[in-house]
Amino acid sequence: MQPLDIAMTSTSPEIAYDAQTSTLRISGESYPENSFEFYDPVMRWLREAVAALDSLRLDIHVSYMNSSSTKCMLDLLDILEEASAKGFAASVLWRYDSENPRALDLAEEFQEEVTFEFNLVPQE
Amino acid sequence: MDLFAIREELSKSGVMICFTGPFSHSIIDEIGQAVRNHLSAENIAKAAVMDVFAAYIELAQNVKNYCATRTLPTGDQGSSIITIARKNGRYQVSSGNVVLREDIPPLLANIDSINALDPAGLKARYKEQMRKDRQPGALGAGLGLLDIARRSPEKLSYSVRDLDGKYAFFSLAATV
Repeated sequence: MQPLDIAMTSTSPEIAYDAQTSTLRISGESYPENSFEFYDPVMRWLREAVAALDSLRLDIHVSYMNSSSTKCMLDLLDILEEASAKGFAASVLWRYDSENPRALDLAEEFQEEVTFEFNLVPQE
Repeated sequence: MDLFAIREELSKSGVMICFTGPFSHSIIDEIGQAVRNHLSAENIAKAAVMDVFAAYIELAQNVKNYCATRTLPTGDQGSSIITIARKNGRYQVSSGNVVLREDIPPLLANIDSINALDPAGLKARYKEQMRKDRQPGALGAGLGLLDIARRSPEKLSYSVRDLDGKYAFFSLAATV
């Protein structure tokens, strides 16, 4: 698998793949100038990953997402959903801010969109 | 220019932060950080801080994206404005920018239809919109106003003022 390592900025998250644990981590905040452009390489990487690997865990800890980033996040989950229907072992660990009720609502709304393993983990 | 009078006027309207000029990504980011720092210092709940921040980001990015996809007057004539104000124990985030007159009817129809929805309807509309294919060339996903409406206990309010020729000035306010 090609490495994926995008550094964090004040308006975009760090996105990195750890081959040892087959985990794709997205952490930080997400309101880039152009969300579609920002997530495009991640989308392309993930499409290749579901073809090349057997399993992948998506570990998400994003404390704020603007609306266009939520659309990109759904697109990423859709790639995993489609792959999991064909036997790919996809799972999500979604870390949300336990002090912000809206963060849990958002997490649950994404959980409703997929049928594979999707765990919600509260963070202080 | 009487800056004192301008400041007094803003202060009377409860305005805490105001920016006017062309919006760039870095300015949007900087002011956003300032909004968060300012509100966090006021000891309000984290969720409330994030609602104000989110409304601000969506409005500011909407304005910036709109200006990037239309031919509008340049310089001072085309400058946009955003304010964050205290209002009856809540916060009002407002944006104002020059728009093409022809864009107004669909814009107002969209806001009116969002204002007609209850929380369940807003959630359903958000999901429906998130599932739509991206418009070619679009910089946003058409979700911003829905996101703001979901965070707001009040309806979105707007006003339109005619400018010369084919332009108008559009103001939009959200209370969170």
